[in-house]
Amino acid sequence: MGRATGPRRTAAIVGIGHTDWSGDWTRVRNGDVPADSTGYAALAFREALADAGLGRDDVDGLICGPTTALERMGELLNINPSWGDQGDAIGAVMKAVQAVEAGLVDVVALVYGNNQRSAGTQYGGPKAMGGGSFLSYVYHAPWGLTSQGALYALMFQRYQHVYGFTEADLGEVAVAQRAFADLNENAIMQGRPITIDDYLEAPYVCEPLHLYDYCLVNDGGVALIVAEAERARQISEHPVYIEAMGRSDLNTNATSLEPRLTDFYHPAQHRVAEKVFAEASVGPEDIDVLQVYDSFSVHIPLALEGYGYCKVGEAGRFFQEQGIGPGGALPTNTGGGHLSETYMQGWNHQVESVRQLRGQAGARQVEDCRYVHYSSDVAGKVASIIYAR
Amino acid sequence: MSDERSFPDRVLGFYDVPMWQHLEEGAFKLQRCEACGAFRYPPGPVCHDCLSPESQWTEVGGGGEILSHATFHKGYLPGYETPYSVVAVRLDEGPIVVSNIEGAEPADDWIGRRVSLVLVPRGDAYVLPRFQLA
Repeated sequence: MGRATGPRRTAAIVGIGHTDWSGDWTRVRNGDVPADSTGYAALAFREALADAGLGRDDVDGLICGPTTALERMGELLNINPSWGDQGDAIGAVMKAVQAVEAGLVDVVALVYGNNQRSAGTQYGGPKAMGGGSFLSYVYHAPWGLTSQGALYALMFQRYQHVYGFTEADLGEVAVAQRAFADLNENAIMQGRPITIDDYLEAPYVCEPLHLYDYCLVNDGGVALIVAEAERARQISEHPVYIEAMGRSDLNTNATSLEPRLTDFYHPAQHRVAEKVFAEASVGPEDIDVLQVYDSFSVHIPLALEGYGYCKVGEAGRFFQEQGIGPGGALPTNTGGGHLSETYMQGWNHQVESVRQLRGQAGARQVEDCRYVHYSSDVAGKVASIIYAR
Repeated sequence: MSDERSFPDRVLGFYDVPMWQHLEEGAFKLQRCEACGAFRYPPGPVCHDCLSPESQWTEVGGGGEILSHATFHKGYLPGYETPYSVVAVRLDEGPIVVSNIEGAEPADDWIGRRVSLVLVPRGDAYVLPRFQLA
C-alpha cells in the first residue's frame, strides 16, 4: 500500500552540529591529530544537542555514519536507543524518517565522524576505500585504473565528446563553489578564491579532470537531530521538514562502468526527479537552493541535466547564462560543498540545507529560501531529499 | 625478474579464475550464456540478461571500439609510470572492458576508434587483454 500523495512532512531536522573544519584542517596539516572518527562525531553530537536545546536523554534513536561502529558510538555517547542503524548521509536521513513514520522513534541522533586526513585514508591504489562496496573501484587495477576520480574522468571525457561540453565549462563549478566558500566562515577554502584561468592552469590529476575538480580530504564530524513532526514543532522554532525523498539505483553492468559511460546516471535521476517533485508538489523552478554530493565537480552538470534544471547537454550553457554561484539563478552547494567547504561525505550538505532554510546562512544566505533539493548519485545510486520550512 | 608485486593485484573472485587461466593459455574468453547467447563481464554465476546459470567460456573476436579514455598524471599503482592512459572499450560482443592501448595512441580523437585485441604478458605475473588501433 503506497502512502497518499502530497508533501511528506512527517519528520524534521531540529538540530545541527559540526566540528571546526578549518581549524582542524590547519592542525592536521601541522602534524597534530585532534581526534579520531568517534571523537569528531561525539563533538558534533554535543553541538547538535545544544542547537536543538535537547538533552541526551531526549534521544531515542541512533544512526551513525559508515566510518564508526554503531555499538561503540552508542557506548561513547551513552545512548541505549529504541532503534539503531548505520548509513551514509542521505541514507541516514531517509532511515530516520522511515523509523519515525514506523512509530519506532521520536527523536533520532545522526552522527558522523571521519579522520580520513590524519589517518591517511586512500581513495586510489591497492587499498582504495570503498572497494568492498563497489567492485569497479578495484577490479580494473591490473590495467592501471584506480581512484574514484579516474572513473569520473572517463565519464566526463565521454560526456564532453557526446555533448560538446568543455573543460572551461566544468571549471565554472569549482569557481562558483569557491566563491560561496569565501562567504562561509566554516569553509576550509574561505579567503582563497579562484578564477577559470587558475582552474585551467592547475595540474591534471586524471585528465581531463584538474586538481580543483577533486574534493578536499579533511577530518571532521557532523551531527543532526531528526524529530517526529509534532515533537519537532515543540522543540524548534524553525524545523526543517523532509518534504519528499526517493531513490533509484543503476546496477546493470556497473562494474564495467556502463551506467557512467552510456547514460551518465540520467535514467535514475529522471526517475527520482519524477518521484520527489511530485511528492513535494513542486518543480525544479521552485527550488531555491540545490545541494549536490560533489566528490567531483562532474556531479553538478549531471545533476542539473538529470533532474530537469536544464535540458540534457545544456548544463554548460546554464552555467554561463543562469549561473550556479552567488547571485546565480540556481545557487548550488552554497556552503562551498566538498570541493571548498569540507569533505564530510554529504553530511555537510544537510547542515547547509538547514542553515539556508532557517535563514542562518549569513553572507551567502539565499533570499526567502523555501525549498532545498539535496541529491547524491555516488556510483549511480541516485537519491534525493527535498527540504522545506 | 618480476613477480606479482611488481604489478597491481587482480581481483580473483570465484568466477574470475578461469578467465585469467585462459589468458595465460593465449585466449581472451568470456562466459557466453547457453540460454540466450549474451556475453558477460566481469565473470559471474548467472546471465545478467536471463539469469541462466549455464554458460560456455567462449573466445571473443577481439574487435571493439573506444568508448572513453583518461590519462593518469598521478600514480597510485606498481607497474604504471605516469603519465599513462586507460581506455574503456566496447567489445563487438557487447561488454565494456577497461584496458590500455598498446603501441601508438590516437593523435587526436580517441572516442569511436576501432581497436583489436592483443595479449600482453606482465612479467611472470599474468597476461592482460589490451588493444591496439585497428
